[in-house]
Amino acid sequence: MTSKPKVCVAIEPDLIAAATGEATPPAAERVDAHVAACFPCRDDFARYRAIDHAVGALRATLPPAGDAEAARQRLIARLADLTSRIVSYRVVPTPLGPILMARSEQGIALLEYLGRDGVAASRLFQMAGVDAQEAAAGLEPFEHELLDYLGGRRTRLDWPLDLRTARSDFQRAVMAATVAVPYGAVSSYTGIAAHLGKPAAVRAVAQALRHNPLPIVVPCHRIVGSGGDLVGYAGPRVDLKEHLLTMEGVPTVSARTPRIARRLLYHYETNPGREYCLPTCGDIAQRPIDLLFATREHAEAQGLVPCTTCHPELHPLSA
Amino acid sequence: MSHRAMVETVFDSIVATHHGEIFRYLRRLAWRASEADDLSQETFLRAYRAWGRLTPDANVRAWLFTIASNVYKNHVRSERRRQAAHATVRATRHELDLDGPEEEAMAGEMRSLTQAAIRRLPLKQRLAFTLRKLHELDYEAIGQSLECSPESARAHVFQALRKIRTTLNGHALPLTESTR
Repeated sequence: MTSKPKVCVAIEPDLIAAATGEATPPAAERVDAHVAACFPCRDDFARYRAIDHAVGALRATLPPAGDAEAARQRLIARLADLTSRIVSYRVVPTPLGPILMARSEQGIALLEYLGRDGVAASRLFQMAGVDAQEAAAGLEPFEHELLDYLGGRRTRLDWPLDLRTARSDFQRAVMAATVAVPYGAVSSYTGIAAHLGKPAAVRAVAQALRHNPLPIVVPCHRIVGSGGDLVGYAGPRVDLKEHLLTMEGVPTVSARTPRIARRLLYHYETNPGREYCLPTCGDIAQRPIDLLFATREHAEAQGLVPCTTCHPELHPLSA
Repeated sequence: MSHRAMVETVFDSIVATHHGEIFRYLRRLAWRASEADDLSQETFLRAYRAWGRLTPDANVRAWLFTIASNVYKNHVRSERRRQAAHATVRATRHELDLDGPEEEAMAGEMRSLTQAAIRRLPLKQRLAFTLRKLHELDYEAIGQSLECSPESARAHVFQALRKIRTTLNGHALPLTESTR
């Protein structure tokens, strides 16, 4: 290939620009003048024009619309999945010690009493498919309500919950039954198992609550042994359980293992008349705990009526 | 509306506005539709994670092209490693065809040749050329997407045109228009 004349080499960038629609008007004029007189450059110009045309055709060639749409749908599904796995958490200092609080787009997903190892040891980081991010945004209202609750200024936590942190449908069912035990009341593992229609599953109920991912809001502290023992809470923290129950007005007695003071509580066992009793009504205080209430008001708020045999309304328990 | 819900609404609208174009970009770069699918998903998932750090005045389109270009560059790098590791595994010609046989038959000879010539360009020139000529980004945005100056983005595009011109040298010039 023979080398080009200097003038042709010099004008080449402008020539390419002009042929592909990128030249400034003065440059385009220079190119026009040059190609009018120079045959090889005219050929070059035509070739670049042809390439530009072909590129224009390529630009107009779109992949099948279905491909893009299918890709978009898959993307949207993956984004939704990603979003649903994002969990923001925050450590809230409370009178019961630091509590890690986490929420997803669905609701509060985890409350966890932090131990000596702090956040690093949190269950949050052992959960598969969770994308944990520390962020206060979206958690403040829950934090305020939690502190109000622990300070005795609030008796309900009506939060949207994300129960995907539960381990099984059975655990979710146990949690749902536990949420139904109101403030100022106490039930037992036996009572919950009976309520679920699985009276033999007492130990499974206890296990499910031992791993309760949402203590306080799913009030597993209100569930005690069938004789009233405060067994197991947040590992060895029976003192927290006692604290929460005391706050709700449920009296406890310190024996070898702390237990609730059944003699000071109103008793309820499922009955057609929905009657609640004094602990002295028959042998009710010796039977496995179904539901106990700290006050008559707590019992009657649940739609229960005084027993027509023992008349708790005439002989109220002294506080 | 919570902060997160707000972020999601805006990101949804970004997907709605830009997904088609980014997919086309990656489809032009990638050999197979399934590859473009994966790459566009990765682009937007990365964008979603980085979204919070984007300044409000940022050029979202150029930003997405930047991410898509980086995703593609990484893909090419890992493909090269993979192919080096499995030198015997070669895609068949059928797999490498951009279009189906019907489309190919319909397409002009010059278009197919140009497409083939673009595919043979060095990576940076190919990206710059594709961004400029097929997606009509300005050189400022191309420079941003390829992490170079607008001037060198321009130089890449012109080098690319020269290379395409040389590749097509042996082929007859279609008479698209008369020379002036």
